[in-house]
Amino acid sequence: MSPHISLAGLPLENLRRKPFRTASLITVVAILSVAFFGGSMLAMNLNKGLTSMEERLGADLMVVPQTTESKAEALLTDGTPNTFYFTNDIESKVAKADGIAQITSQTYISSLAAACCAEKLQIIGFDPQTDFVIEPWVASQYDKTLGDGEMVAGANVNVSTDGTIELYGKTWPVVAQLASTGTSLDNSVFVNKATVPQMVAASAKVAKRVMPQEYASKAVSSVLIKVQDGYDAHTVADNIAKLDPQLASVGFVYPGGVTASTKTSLNTMLSYMLVFVVVLWVMGLIVMLAVFSSSVNERKKEFASLRIMGATRGMLISIVIREALITGLAGGVIGVAAASLIVFPFSGYIGKQMQLPYLQVGIGSILGMALVALVFAVLTAAVASLFVAFRLGRPEAYLTLREGE
Amino acid sequence: MKNKLFASIPSIVFGALIAIAPHTFAYVCKVEKMPMACHWTAQAEIGVGALIAVLGVIALFVAPQIRIGLNIAAVLGALLAIAVPTVLIGVCPGAMMHCHMVTRPTLIVLGVLTIVFSAIAIWLDSRPAKRV
Repeated sequence: MSPHISLAGLPLENLRRKPFRTASLITVVAILSVAFFGGSMLAMNLNKGLTSMEERLGADLMVVPQTTESKAEALLTDGTPNTFYFTNDIESKVAKADGIAQITSQTYISSLAAACCAEKLQIIGFDPQTDFVIEPWVASQYDKTLGDGEMVAGANVNVSTDGTIELYGKTWPVVAQLASTGTSLDNSVFVNKATVPQMVAASAKVAKRVMPQEYASKAVSSVLIKVQDGYDAHTVADNIAKLDPQLASVGFVYPGGVTASTKTSLNTMLSYMLVFVVVLWVMGLIVMLAVFSSSVNERKKEFASLRIMGATRGMLISIVIREALITGLAGGVIGVAAASLIVFPFSGYIGKQMQLPYLQVGIGSILGMALVALVFAVLTAAVASLFVAFRLGRPEAYLTLREGE
Repeated sequence: MKNKLFASIPSIVFGALIAIAPHTFAYVCKVEKMPMACHWTAQAEIGVGALIAVLGVIALFVAPQIRIGLNIAAVLGALLAIAVPTVLIGVCPGAMMHCHMVTRPTLIVLGVLTIVFSAIAIWLDSRPAKRV
């Protein structure tokens, strides 16, 4: 008994009988969907990383030792751990400048690789009494005061199951682990200032001392300043430089400027990505138009036969459009799945390679974007088929069928 | 012939990649004092990958019904290839470690691709033969 093909099942049967043409069309749509969904997810993750970075930069101005500005900037974005510090009491001198609303200091030490199989960590010593940058963030997840010898760990820090971390051959208790920010702060541990000398002493026992013992209790890597309303960070920096000849040579980092430059490089990259996706999409649309046209052209006799059997012009148009919709949907699903296999499992690696704040968006946004990508893929296939579908059925069916005789 | 190639080539390629990836392009951490979990994962994946590749080679010489069985075995092997770095042995817990960032996702992706291609091969081989 021969299989019965209904009008509703005809588009699927047509696609099945021409596997090479169908596979080619699905491949084109899948490539477009990979570019669209993958590109959009990267853009969304980068934007989320940037927003997170802006939230973490509570200071308007950082005073750092001469020539260490780039190291301090790297600390704010996505850089390697560093150790640098002033060798004199800088905070009290800087505090005398005009235009300062809040002032605090931090000490940065780069650890050795923490215990086994871990990368170097950035140790950040801060003063919980005066801090206005890290403390509010820590307070959102740990409501007690950080005790001496205790640590708060960034999201990527490998904390052992007993809630400790091994640094410089010593085990330190971790009282809280912070949420991911997409910046290098995720690879940092935070301690209070009183813990810094303990760390320096511990470092001397296992390797080269990270800083001379005499500086351990007073070393300051950066002075963070929130400027008063009506003052500009650059003006306050000038005021500081004029205070003392010693301060004339210090380095200044403007976290707002770091955010702005990161935003600029991010926007440049996003615009290149957008151009690439648009060009690819236009090319894909042209290829699909060409394939649909040639396919409809070579199937003229088939459509003429259907007309003679009683199919209306609308029915023929509907068959072609439904074939395109099935192709678009299949290509879209394959494309979204293929992009997901790259973007999600390799999220950490992509973030590291980009050297930009990169933070995975939530499941709701991912599902929403997948849906948009699918709709876009289906619409593209539908638009490509619409151009040729309306040419169908125009010639006389009998003449078409006798063509070439 | 087409079905035979589809049932064997992907298994051979992905099996070989699963076996060699943790030792080459998606390398794990170097053994220093004590071998870490990722080292044992890399060792285990040699066996799992080789098994999948051998199933692919055998599929070149057998009847379609047996190929279906071999591809079911390849799917189970791929599930094992995914379970080794995620559940059974694991990798280093540090999120920025190469084995965590590259090796584990690579093995997951290769495992998923093996499952997808094997499932398609099973479907192709289980279809009734074409009428002439």
